[in-house]
Amino acid sequence: MAKELPIVPTAVPGSSVETSAAASWREYRPEVRESQKVNREVVLFCPDGAISIEKETVTIDLHICKGCGICAVESDGIVMVPEYTGVSGVFGVKEGNK
Amino acid sequence: MNVKINLDQLPKEELFGQGNVGCKGCGGAIAGRQAMKVLGERTIITIPASCMATLGGNNRHTTWKIPFYHTLFECAPAISSGIRAALEAQGIKDVNVVSWGGDAGSADIGFQSLTGAAERNEDLFHVCYDNEMYMNTGGQTSSQTPYSALTTNCTVNGKKTNKKNMLKIMEAHDIGYVACASIAYPADLMAKFKKASSRKGFSYIHVLAPCFKGWGIPSDQTVEFARKAVESGLWELFEVEDGVRTRNYEPKLIPVKEYLTPQKRFSKITAQEIEDLQQQVNTRYGKVGK
Repeated sequence: MAKELPIVPTAVPGSSVETSAAASWREYRPEVRESQKVNREVVLFCPDGAISIEKETVTIDLHICKGCGICAVESDGIVMVPEYTGVSGVFGVKEGNK
Repeated sequence: MNVKINLDQLPKEELFGQGNVGCKGCGGAIAGRQAMKVLGERTIITIPASCMATLGGNNRHTTWKIPFYHTLFECAPAISSGIRAALEAQGIKDVNVVSWGGDAGSADIGFQSLTGAAERNEDLFHVCYDNEMYMNTGGQTSSQTPYSALTTNCTVNGKKTNKKNMLKIMEAHDIGYVACASIAYPADLMAKFKKASSRKGFSYIHVLAPCFKGWGIPSDQTVEFARKAVESGLWELFEVEDGVRTRNYEPKLIPVKEYLTPQKRFSKITAQEIEDLQQQVNTRYGKVGK
């Protein structure tokens, strides 16, 4: 009997990253304003592993960032901007209309 | 033994965390990511029912890149012991076996298998990531909930008993290494994990990993409150290695009020209780006066 059972599908390591729902949760997204001021420890404070620092370049993977805002609190040079409204959001107002 | 962690030399690979299904600003996920940076890919982890188990993945997807075993609530250290025995039988020596429980999986429901594994001095280490509540089931009181904190089943005046001192209990097992860490001090936390993984025999690490939802703080303050808990003196960073106790960080001793009052779970704490806590901290750190 046992040998007739189908092979059970198992999870591919790290595959959650492909189906991340984080982007749809986000109300605010982090934006790097001054990368030289970013605290290097901030990589370890991100719960989602969305931030990477390579020499002077700070990259934030917005596919997996949930927008918790810890990076903006823990480090200079990163600010949270509203995702859908506001000055530099997706549907941002023009600079002159602030 | 002194272990120093160089933040620039940490591996770039994320063995845990990317695409996890935890809340935004999850303290447990931060603890897991910091730990996996030093444990490396030769690690097997067992996790009992907890937030950490659920945010590891569901269906055919997982955020872990190492073997991850979702155990029953009460037996993570027992299963880790079995995994270690199997590795030994195969002659594999370079693998870290870790059991990783929440405060319930370590101090309450999971305690019997933890104390058993510690008594047998199994070659593995247990991590308790402590958010001071049963957060995965909606925030009920655990034995690690601090005095006067509101939970979903202590809604009137909060819990009126003290937090059980797990570190003292684990010290009393006479195991080689017991340490207490906080996610706000990653270098210290990672040094402790490195030390535990390099040792033979049973080790225990207790990590403060705040849950913003249960504590009633904004999601971006998770790390900040893990830091305030240490700076106020209520959470001591220390390790006991072969019976020698070392305090790893001398806090600035900010008033405990600054840590307690912004949290919604302490909204019923009285001025007298805050004063008593301050007195306890002052006594512990030998601080005279105010």
